[in-house]
Amino acid sequence: MPENPQTPPFDPATTTRPIGALLRYYTIVSLMTVIGFPFVFLPMYFKYRSLRYKFDDQGVSMSWGILFKREVYLTYRRIQDIHVSRGIIQRWLGLATVSVQTASGSAGAEMSIEGIGNPEGLRDYLYSRMRGSKEEPKTNEAGQQEGTLAGADQGASDEALVLLNEILGQVKALREDRDSGEVADG
Amino acid sequence: MAERDSVTDRAGEWVYSGVWRVLSNRFNVPETPPTLPCEPGETPDAFKPTRGFLGYMKLEFLIGMTVVSVAIFIGWAVLLIALWWAGLLVMIPAAVLVVVLWVVGYLALHLKYDTTWYVMTDRSLRIRRGIWVIREMTFTFENVQNVKVRQGPLQRMFGVSDLLVETAGAGSDPNGKGGPALNQGVVQGVADAWALRDRVLVKLKASQTAGFGDDLAASTQMVQGAAGGWSTEHVEALRLIRDELGTMTRPG
Repeated sequence: MPENPQTPPFDPATTTRPIGALLRYYTIVSLMTVIGFPFVFLPMYFKYRSLRYKFDDQGVSMSWGILFKREVYLTYRRIQDIHVSRGIIQRWLGLATVSVQTASGSAGAEMSIEGIGNPEGLRDYLYSRMRGSKEEPKTNEAGQQEGTLAGADQGASDEALVLLNEILGQVKALREDRDSGEVADG
Repeated sequence: MAERDSVTDRAGEWVYSGVWRVLSNRFNVPETPPTLPCEPGETPDAFKPTRGFLGYMKLEFLIGMTVVSVAIFIGWAVLLIALWWAGLLVMIPAAVLVVVLWVVGYLALHLKYDTTWYVMTDRSLRIRRGIWVIREMTFTFENVQNVKVRQGPLQRMFGVSDLLVETAGAGSDPNGKGGPALNQGVVQGVADAWALRDRVLVKLKASQTAGFGDDLAASTQMVQGAAGGWSTEHVEALRLIRDELGTMTRPG
């Protein structure tokens, strides 16, 4: 697929299920194992049936499994690097595997997002929310918690400033007292 | 001689562009460099390995393929001595195999060169390579932990070097073949990896955080923290207090 400069934006709210092409991809991959087909296809089929994504404003959750359930959650800000890998069959079906890593030490990517119809849009969406993709102190959507933290910090600093100003006033008063005393003495 | 060279060159180009067309149309191999979102007014800096890298790969290929061809020839010779009729039987397939290996390997080498792209903006680096499986990786400089430069003697002969940027992600090689790990971005075969390293280092040193997704509050506090966490107003109030005390203690 030629790189399209005008990638349509990724819509996180409506993306909860992988697209049907993922099942086709799983079928082709398991057919290529010939005799292994039932053993390879069944787990893949169950994964496809149970795969759920949930993109919220802080992070993304991915869950799958019927007998053995798994759920992975990670926050966008903690993403270390983004990988997009697409094999020939994936390219034919318009699919890609978008893998993201966090700073935890597990071998392999922490989350491999498959079956998104607009992988480039997803990549850009994740990129725009990870650290360092834009100027840090500027506004960001994930900043509610950080905003309150910064606010609390600001409040504490203001308290210190008020105290300092009080001390300043007292020192001034002291000096004026002493000055007037000196005048009276002299 | 020169005439023949140009004819073979043209034939080579024709074959090569044909292969490219098939890859691009049938196998969806992108011909354009990858894009990378950037600030308005900034254009991403897209570049490829230098021509020297192609020469370096060709020399490596020549050495490797010579070893393989000699091994195949020795195997065939042993077979010929042991069982002369079997040796004669596999002579044609073995010769075809050697020729095909050379041609396909040489083509793949050129394709590898032409499909490798690096894109750099002020904030991040994106690497894309591959023909069958196209891998694209994006690293932001805020998250980069260290940078490495490496150059072997052969690479020095061709004037190429590699730059590696590493993040805190620990993923090993997805193919399990000891290749580059997931957290490693390898900018292979650039003319001056040291200059590129310096460009990345400027951005690394400007970053105020450790690169583990640190909170904004921590990073902004660090930025303001020139006077130990005090803002300019605090410092101003402290200065006034000092002046007041100074006039008090100064003998009138």
